Amino acid sequence: MTATRRSLARVLRRAWGAVRPALLVALPLAGAAGALACSGLVWRDGSANRAIAALEAGHDRPVAADAVPELLLARIRFLAARERLDEAEPLIAALDGSGSPALRALAQIALGNARLRQAFAKLEAGDLEPATPLVGLARQAYRRALTLRPEAWDAKFNLDVASRLVRDFPERGREQGEEMPADPKKIWTDIPGQPRGLP
Amino acid sequence: MRTRAIEPPRVPRESPVVAMAGLLSVLLSGLLPLPAEAQIGAVVVRSPRPFGLFVGDRFGATVEIEAVDGFAPQAASLPKPGPLTYWLDLTAVSVAPGPARDGNRLWRLSLTYQTFYAALDVRRLDVPAFTVTFASEAPRATTSAVAEVPSWPIGVSPLREIQPPPVADPVEYLRPESPNPRRDPALPGALAWAFAGLGLAGLLALARDRAWWPFRHRPARAFAAAWRQVRRQAVRRDAEAAYREALLALHRGLDRTDGRRVMGEDLAGFLVRHPAYAALTQPLDRFFRASREVFFGRDPSLAQRDWPMPDLVATARRLAAAERAANAGGHS
Repeated sequence: MTATRRSLARVLRRAWGAVRPALLVALPLAGAAGALACSGLVWRDGSANRAIAALEAGHDRPVAADAVPELLLARIRFLAARERLDEAEPLIAALDGSGSPALRALAQIALGNARLRQAFAKLEAGDLEPATPLVGLARQAYRRALTLRPEAWDAKFNLDVASRLVRDFPERGREQGEEMPADPKKIWTDIPGQPRGLP
Repeated sequence: MRTRAIEPPRVPRESPVVAMAGLLSVLLSGLLPLPAEAQIGAVVVRSPRPFGLFVGDRFGATVEIEAVDGFAPQAASLPKPGPLTYWLDLTAVSVAPGPARDGNRLWRLSLTYQTFYAALDVRRLDVPAFTVTFASEAPRATTSAVAEVPSWPIGVSPLREIQPPPVADPVEYLRPESPNPRRDPALPGALAWAFAGLGLAGLLALARDRAWWPFRHRPARAFAAAWRQVRRQAVRRDAEAAYREALLALHRGLDRTDGRRVMGEDLAGFLVRHPAYAALTQPLDRFFRASREVFFGRDPSLAQRDWPMPDLVATARRLAAAERAANAGGHS
């Protein structure tokens, strides 16, 4: 027992003797590489935060599709607020690939808000006909947001607004007190040929 | 088992005709599904909170189905996650067998739904009914039974009043957008510091092992100092003086390692006291011969021809490496 323990100790010591020089060289190199990589991440996060602040302040910044998810979201919101939804589409696709469900839900809410604002503009101008599909698109976006994150309260609230919009808006007060129809499918026209879950 | 053996047989004797009919019914049961009541017991739907549901809320339900032991729900007959009606999605389905009791087994179906009904008032809605097919696990028979899960009510609630106060711009009905989420650089920052600390500690350990700058005069690294001096001499232009200095540096390394002056005739004793350098017996022997030639011989250049400078440098390097390997732990 003592003999085996002693021989085991010798084997271990010999192995340590062989490993030690390589380890001594590898340790500082690994530390330096790790520190460099993490500093790169810190720098990337800092520059992303600066770009997000600029976008929030209303200064447009080009954002590549492989940017960090938070920056993609900031740019999507920037474009959605200016009704440049065509430019936002590829970024939303990129965010769907890389972002967390919470961020993707926020992007869908921004999209829904943009559609709903367009619908409001049409309704204000008295164009009821083109407003309906816009409201439908907004509702789809909010619904996608809620599928991604059921506790997205902004999406719930705005989906409620969108769901009542056409019922309430054209002749305010006419339906007050009436029993509401339980089947919104008769009211809401969906865009035909749109597979579910796709933009 | 024994009590059963004492009991009289429960099944009454049948006439041959009845027996034939029984056989026929057994045969038929293999082809046709039996009435569900036979194999399926009570079906109970439980939900922890089927009321006060807002638009977009998820809610769960557990369906408990009692089935005769041996019957299991068929995976293909379970409801599929996806939209059920325009206002209801099924998001998750799982099934697990429960405890067996009196020859019946309780199957638990866990369902998660999501409602998208934008309610104007508190109202009851019905979650649609569905059926689950149970099949017998017996090897030859394919008996199946259908469990009917009834539709059950939920209560949805509105988020806002029916007629919100009028606003100047309808956009004000919408919730204001939340501030943009930012990146949090704290974690990579802390990691960067940790890696930097690790690298610095590793560099210190390496410097101590190789007797680099702050550890230059480490007593346990006499040959490391000697090798450093030899390397410096190797690039000097004056080859004669450089060779002499290099020899002196190696002498100093040997003396400091042994703690006393080591001459050529002491080499055997030195190797006994420091067995780590036993592999270098021949180069050390040649070193002492060259040293004698240079310092006491008639022609100093003869030594360089016999044991040239590159050999000396290589020997110094090997001595330093042997020293590192020998006292790895290192006493200061």
